[in-house]
Amino acid sequence: MSFGDYMLFIIGAILVNNILLAKFLGNCPFLGVSRRMDTATGMSMAVIFVLTMAGMITWLVQYYILVPLDIEYLQTIAFILVIAALVQLVEIVMAKSLPALYRALGIFLPLITTNCAVLGVAIINIQAEYDFFDTLLFSFSSAVGYSLALILFAGIRERFAMARIPKVFQGTAIGLVTAGFMALAFSGFAGLVGH
Amino acid sequence: MSLQKEFTKGLWEIVPPFRLVLGLCPTLAVTTSAENGMGMGMATTFVLVFSNLLVSLLRKFIPSNVRIAAYIVIIASFVVIVELMMQAYTFPLYRALGIFIPLIVVNCIILGRAEAFAGKRGPLESIADGLGVGIGYTISLTVLGAFREILGSGTLWGLKVFWSGFEPFTFMVRAPGAFVALGVMLALINFISLKLEERKRRAVS
Amino acid sequence: MREIIRMVLVLTVICAASGFSLALVRGFTKAPIDYSRLKFVKEPAVKAVLAGYQNDPIKDRLVIPVGKDKKGKPMNLIVFPAKKGGKTFAVAFEASGAGYHGDIGVMVGLDPAQKKLTGISIVSHTETPGLGARIVEPKFTGAFKGKPTDKQLAVGDISALSGATMSTKGVVAAVNNARSLFDKYRDKMLQ
Repeated sequence: MSFGDYMLFIIGAILVNNILLAKFLGNCPFLGVSRRMDTATGMSMAVIFVLTMAGMITWLVQYYILVPLDIEYLQTIAFILVIAALVQLVEIVMAKSLPALYRALGIFLPLITTNCAVLGVAIINIQAEYDFFDTLLFSFSSAVGYSLALILFAGIRERFAMARIPKVFQGTAIGLVTAGFMALAFSGFAGLVGH
Repeated sequence: MSLQKEFTKGLWEIVPPFRLVLGLCPTLAVTTSAENGMGMGMATTFVLVFSNLLVSLLRKFIPSNVRIAAYIVIIASFVVIVELMMQAYTFPLYRALGIFIPLIVVNCIILGRAEAFAGKRGPLESIADGLGVGIGYTISLTVLGAFREILGSGTLWGLKVFWSGFEPFTFMVRAPGAFVALGVMLALINFISLKLEERKRRAVS
Repeated sequence: MREIIRMVLVLTVICAASGFSLALVRGFTKAPIDYSRLKFVKEPAVKAVLAGYQNDPIKDRLVIPVGKDKKGKPMNLIVFPAKKGGKTFAVAFEASGAGYHGDIGVMVGLDPAQKKLTGISIVSHTETPGLGARIVEPKFTGAFKGKPTDKQLAVGDISALSGATMSTKGVVAAVNNARSLFDKYRDKMLQ
């Protein structure tokens, strides 16, 4: 791939095929932690970090353990265990060596194990037959796309406090409708890449 | 609490993904048709019932500080079983649901029920709970899928429901439509329960 | 300490039990999975190149070992026979040829008695959309039907797609590869 191809690949992963708004991965924390801007930012950073690491490690697990042993059918169970262990490890290491960062991100780390964006991207990397570098690039840009959507959404959501919302729409319902319109806006980016 | 009550609460009181706002990713992603929604719901129910049963049976043996890891292994095993069975016997559905079959593993409904219910209760109650929540989820997904399929493709279960000149509202089967449809349905459920409460209150007074 | 031993023990037992039961499930679903994959992924291509058969070519498939790949793993050629009255009258299998951008996988149907191609269908390719990708169109693949198989097929025998000579060459090469595979394994395919 040339440099231009890589740029398209990155922009595609961040904007056009946004994992949250176009592929529906990681919606539970999306609606859960987006009520306030600071929690949304914390979650975003934690996701970028874990997703990129998990993408690389699961790639290695797939091609250096599962494929040689001919047990690809155990992919799901192997990946989720790797992700769970990774999150635990990151938590321990961060608490010991980077206490400031841990105080900021610590509470989000356990939530990430069950964030389907992490496992989802790990599986997509394998299904799309990416090589190691593509995997790194795709995982990172997907996570950036996730964060972008999450932070923008939190910005919108903070304003709900001032809006008069019909009673039946309050809470998650209006959040979902708003996300729908964000997804609509993001689908406009498809014109950037073109076919 | 009777078994029946454990079962029926999953159908309305805590019906996912509306009351128990969990498991949204598959809800949004696969409900482009009623059939896909139902298939996803059934696969999830299978995993939910068996993981609930096993977690409940093993609850006395699993030390509490490794329980989440143990639950994840149990859930993931059933997910792999579902993956293999679907590939073998319902391949087109397996292809339609794609990546969301392995992702049942991180569906928070299942881990949530294991942690909140099955880890503390007996096996029979846990099965009833799993079945109730699972069937509630299946119904929700099927209804949402039907809603999106009718408006988005003008069909239901692959059969045409509109006159021939009908222009399908493709927005509904695309990504943004998923969010909006789920949001509107959630508001509808809120509306119904609000009315029910009001009626109850009026009956009391 | 006892607590830790117990933790490790319980997790090990659970993992072992899970691994064992999954291997078991894998064992009895392997055959149906292989069948479903071929049925839903390859059958459309097989149907496009074979006609008039009374059997289930997917069920009657033949697996012929054809040497080893670069890593030393054995490779198999899967052959789908078309039968009438229990006798194979045509076979279909996949062959590949280098296109403009990567390999082109082609399902090729051969009629050994009449020494003719019964048809071809493109199974996989990564050609340029709008140019080389037009090789999948029936207008192009249809031109291969009825071509003789007893001599090397030349690009000139087929009207090449304008602007996609390399892709056309790739498909022709795949057909010629299929011819040589057929010559080599003829007896096994027609058993």
